[in-house]
Amino acid sequence: MDTHNEVLSVSGLHVSYGTKEVLRGIDYNISEREVVAVLGANGSGKSTSLNAISGFVGASSGRIVFNGTDITELAAHKIFRLGVIQVSQARDLFPGLTVEHNLRLGAAVRNREEIEQRLEVVFNYFPRLSERRNQQARSLSGGEQQMVAIGRAVMANPKLLLLDEPSGGLAPQFINEIGDIVQALKDDGATMLMVEQNLSLAFKVADRFIILRDGMVSDGGFVKSLEGNHDEIVRTIYL
Amino acid sequence: MDIFLQLTLSGLSQGAIFALIALSLTVVYRATTIVNFGHGDFVMAGAFFVYVLVIYVELPYVFAAISAVLIMLGMGLGVSRGFIDPIKAGPHIGFAMMSISLGYVLRGGARFLWGREVFPMPRVFDIEPFFIGNLVVTGDVLFISAIVAVFLLIFFFIFYRTTTGVIIQAVYQSERGATLIGVNVRAFHQSMWGVGLAMGALAGILIAPISLLHPDLGATFLIRGFAAMTLGGFGSLGGAVVGGLLLGVAEQLFGFYINSSLQDITAYLIIVAVLVIRPAGLFGRTVTVRV
Ligand SMILES: Nc1ncnc2c1ncn2[C@@H]1O[C@H](COP(=O)(O)OP(=O)(O)OP(=O)(O)O)[C@@H](O)[C@H]1O
Ligand SMILES: [Mg+2]
Repeated sequence: MDTHNEVLSVSGLHVSYGTKEVLRGIDYNISEREVVAVLGANGSGKSTSLNAISGFVGASSGRIVFNGTDITELAAHKIFRLGVIQVSQARDLFPGLTVEHNLRLGAAVRNREEIEQRLEVVFNYFPRLSERRNQQARSLSGGEQQMVAIGRAVMANPKLLLLDEPSGGLAPQFINEIGDIVQALKDDGATMLMVEQNLSLAFKVADRFIILRDGMVSDGGFVKSLEGNHDEIVRTIYL
Repeated sequence: MDIFLQLTLSGLSQGAIFALIALSLTVVYRATTIVNFGHGDFVMAGAFFVYVLVIYVELPYVFAAISAVLIMLGMGLGVSRGFIDPIKAGPHIGFAMMSISLGYVLRGGARFLWGREVFPMPRVFDIEPFFIGNLVVTGDVLFISAIVAVFLLIFFFIFYRTTTGVIIQAVYQSERGATLIGVNVRAFHQSMWGVGLAMGALAGILIAPISLLHPDLGATFLIRGFAAMTLGGFGSLGGAVVGGLLLGVAEQLFGFYINSSLQDITAYLIIVAVLVIRPAGLFGRTVTVRV
């Protein structure tokens, strides 16, 4: 891979919660405009790896480099300012604020000058949110809340978007819709690291995948080279 | 009727100060989930700074007041950084212990410097009392009510109508969410401590000219702040204000119509009654308060 346009590189990353070592030396990288899917069973450390990149949990060793800057020890809000934006697994919206306020807040810290244009962009991706802009976030369905969460991240004009199970807990109809959105973001040039348990969604949009197992990268490769044969992968992940 | 209105009026101006104290406690509580048991002593410290700056440094009251607010703002930032941040990993009760202890240190410091004397503060503004019908409006009542009213307008305007306010509401609702939009939550906690102590200082500054200062003043303010919060609903900003005003009025009415010795225990009675009858208070959301 051409290292010239490498956006993120993770090397030898170790993360522990107390005495429990969850990541035991993982390595991967992402190039510009690439979409990489992180696969793995429940508890394999997928969210932890995104949280380490975002600075929400500290690394006990290893290095995380974003666009040439070592961000391993950087505080979360500084990593955010560099353009590494996460959509968390729990979504973590502001339930009592309106959809529009939730979205605007995405750009309140990093992207204030462009807030109106970005809002336009987000409402283009999610016309449904435009209709519900004055509704409280807590009154939305799970799928709509996921749209707000993604929209809020898009507001910040991410240089690297970290998506933690965008389809998690959603009805099939929403999974397709979210899949289309992720595809649209990709077509518009986004660089994404996406944790996803829904393999058909993951393989539809991702260029590459890595598999986490027991805190290590156990496998990985180009989605194209799988030629639609996913059974092998399912075995590698879960068995 | 006249006497009732007169009592209500002075109750409201007393209550305005309780409202400020309760609101400042709430600001810190909502941001950090910490109940600052030392808050009364910080209010007292604010009042003492004004006293020192007016009497010894001979600053005009207005400058002394602004300086005291800034000093307490700095103290809030310092307390958060120096004494709260380092104990975050520990048990939550540690925050209560810490805030009580810091309060007592301030109180002890004041006793050490000034003894147990009681200090009158020179009158600040000689506003002539005026009449509305038979109702006497004293300069103090006017001064306190006006300052608090203006302050509350600004406070609630910022909270509900500005981007900064929306960010504060957001952090109150979800700290995880706030980190996801790039808010430096640690700095936010520190600034809310600063704002809380500065607001407490404002209360102290308003009290200073109308009451006798002594190092033990804090305890009486703390309990009134708590009573106002309990009455309004723990954690509710608007509730803190309404609770404070009602408490002020209740103290005056109870003291006059029932027994003057009741005035001092009104706050305790209200806490007990509200907790038994309606634990969430007037505007309370059902929250569990950890100390
Ligand atoms: N804050 C925490 N404190 C202690 N242990 C944690 C914490 N967060 C996660 N863990 C543990 O670390 C391991 C990895 O968790 P993580 O959330 O990264 O897994 P995941 O791959 O995202 O799982 P899922 O598919 O269920 O989302 C799990 O065993 C989990 O219980
Ligand atoms: Mg996860």
